[in-house]
Formats: sequence, C-alpha cells, structure tokens
Amino acid sequence: MNRFRWLIQTLVAFGTNAYLLFPFGGSVIYQGPLKAVCHPGLNCYSCPGALLSCPVGAFQNFMASLRFSTGGIPNLGVIVVGYLGFIGSVVGRLTCGWMCPFGFIQDLIHKIPTPKFTLWKPLRWVKYAVLVVLVVAMPALLVDNSGLGHPWFCKLVCPAGTLEGALPLLFLKPSLWGTVGFFFWNKLTLLILILIAVVFISRFFCRVICPLGAFYSLFSRISLVQLEFVEGNCVECGSCVRKCPTGVVPNQEFDSPECIMCLRCVEACHFSALDFGIRRPPGKPAKVKRVTSPI
Amino acid sequence: MPKKSFWLIILFTALFILGINTGDLNFLLNLGSTICLSCIGVG
Repeated sequence: MNRFRWLIQTLVAFGTNAYLLFPFGGSVIYQGPLKAVCHPGLNCYSCPGALLSCPVGAFQNFMASLRFSTGGIPNLGVIVVGYLGFIGSVVGRLTCGWMCPFGFIQDLIHKIPTPKFTLWKPLRWVKYAVLVVLVVAMPALLVDNSGLGHPWFCKLVCPAGTLEGALPLLFLKPSLWGTVGFFFWNKLTLLILILIAVVFISRFFCRVICPLGAFYSLFSRISLVQLEFVEGNCVECGSCVRKCPTGVVPNQEFDSPECIMCLRCVEACHFSALDFGIRRPPGKPAKVKRVTSPI
Repeated sequence: MPKKSFWLIILFTALFILGINTGDLNFLLNLGSTICLSCIGVG
C-alpha cells in the first residue's frame, strides 16, 4: 500500500508539473488553458513546470481583488471554494496524503536518517489561524491606495512558492534577481527552517502551517470516505500509532482532523482493526471481522 | 451514503458551477498566465 501511495504521489507531482518547454518556449511558465484548473494540493503556479493553478494562491487573489469585481457580481472565489469543498466532502485530507506535491517533498526529506521527534500538539491550531488571517482576512481587508489587496500567505510564508517557484525562476530568469528584496529573503529563511523541521518532525508544514490542510481538515468528520476503527479487533499493540506520520492515535482519535489518510496504519495493523472505505451512516457500526493472527 | 456528505457534495458542486458562470474561470486563467511576483517573494 505504501509503495502504491509513493507511486501515486510521484505521478501526481511530476504529472502536474510536466511543462517541460520552459527553457525553450517564449514564456518561462505555462500559460495554457489548464491554468484555469486548480491543483488539489499545494503547488505553486509560478513553478516553471506547473500546469495547474494553486488553489491557495488563486483564492487569495480573489479576496485581494474583491473591490474590482465587474458586472455587478463580485468574484468571491466560489469556484475555488466549490472545487476544494467538493474534494473535501468526498475524500477529506486524503488529498494531503496522496496528491500534494509539497507533502511528497516532505515525505522524501523526512527519510533522511536522523533522530525523530514528536510535535507539540497545540501547534496544530496554528494552521487554522494561517487560513483565516493570511489567506482570507488580510488579502480582503488590507488594501493599498488603488483598492487592491495582496496574497499575504504567498508573500510572507509559502515555502512551496519559494522552492517550486522562486528558486527555479531566479535560476532560469536571472533578470528577476534585480527585484529580490525583503520578502524573498524572509521566505527563503522560512523555507530553510521548515525543511530542517521536516527532517526531524514528520509532515511539519502540513501539521502546523498549511492552510489547505486546515481547510480539508474541516471535512474530517463528514467526508464521504473515512478511516474506520473496528474496536473488537484492536489488541492495542500500538503499531498503527508508531506508523502514523501526523501523530494521530487511530484507535482513540476517530476522524481526526490531522489524519491525512495515508493508510500506513491500515497496512501496519495485523488484526484488521482499521479499515478504509465509504462512511457508514450514524448508528450503523462496523462489523467485527475475523482476526487473522500474524503469528 | 451519509446524508451530510451527499448534501455537501451537492452544495459545493453548485458553488463550483456558480463560479464558472460568474466569470471566476476567466479570472483564474488570467491569474495563472503570469508569473506571480508575490508568490515568489520578489514583488
């Protein structure tokens, strides 16, 4: 299962960043019709290879230009909310575990053999503040003299933008170095700090900062698919807890907002106490399956 | 299928379609066609 997930992550990461004409074409980024579609994960649309738009960047720009809506109907970014809400309603944070290119990068970096640490749990709440303040409120409310806001999460924080967008673009288009200033060095410092944290703490960015993960986590209790716990089969061996990359205790925290449904716990459980499938209606408990002893 | 999930899927599909019909799609297309200087921290 884990190998299958790695395959999907690789295919999605390379498949959605498959514009390979940037060194030869007229433009350094892809400008075709696919850019009207958002990536389900965090993937900078200024990445030279990116075929799709970034949903977080797109939504901030909708908020930033609210005052410029034309035709009597304000562009509230409902297309992005609808798109992300649909994904969240169906699969919840499974997208984070299987389809996010920056999550994939973190998974790779965390493989560096070093001592590993657990995350201080209250830090999990930071990502909700990032979502509300940097992605919604500041782009909509902090406007310049012309009435235009700015995508503050992209501007101040987004490490995916620095890694996938800024660094390759500065390499490919050296003239951009002339415009580099405080925001770039601030983001580069943050990127380095986040990547160092990821080496020691699994999925640090997803668990602490990612506003997209925060949005998807709102659907953890109502998404169509779920990670199901079959209580009668659990022997409390703890193998699921040891495998979880986001520090969830699957046999105690049901429908955890932190669960990215990577299904490593399902694979680790030899007693069929965890299963993945369509959510059961309330009051319809899972059937206790016959336990097959691994011994 | 749980009712809550079903109605949420309907709601968000409707929002998505509403977005397409209110010009959000063109906005999105224009947005992705230029290098975002804020995204790369140089703007």
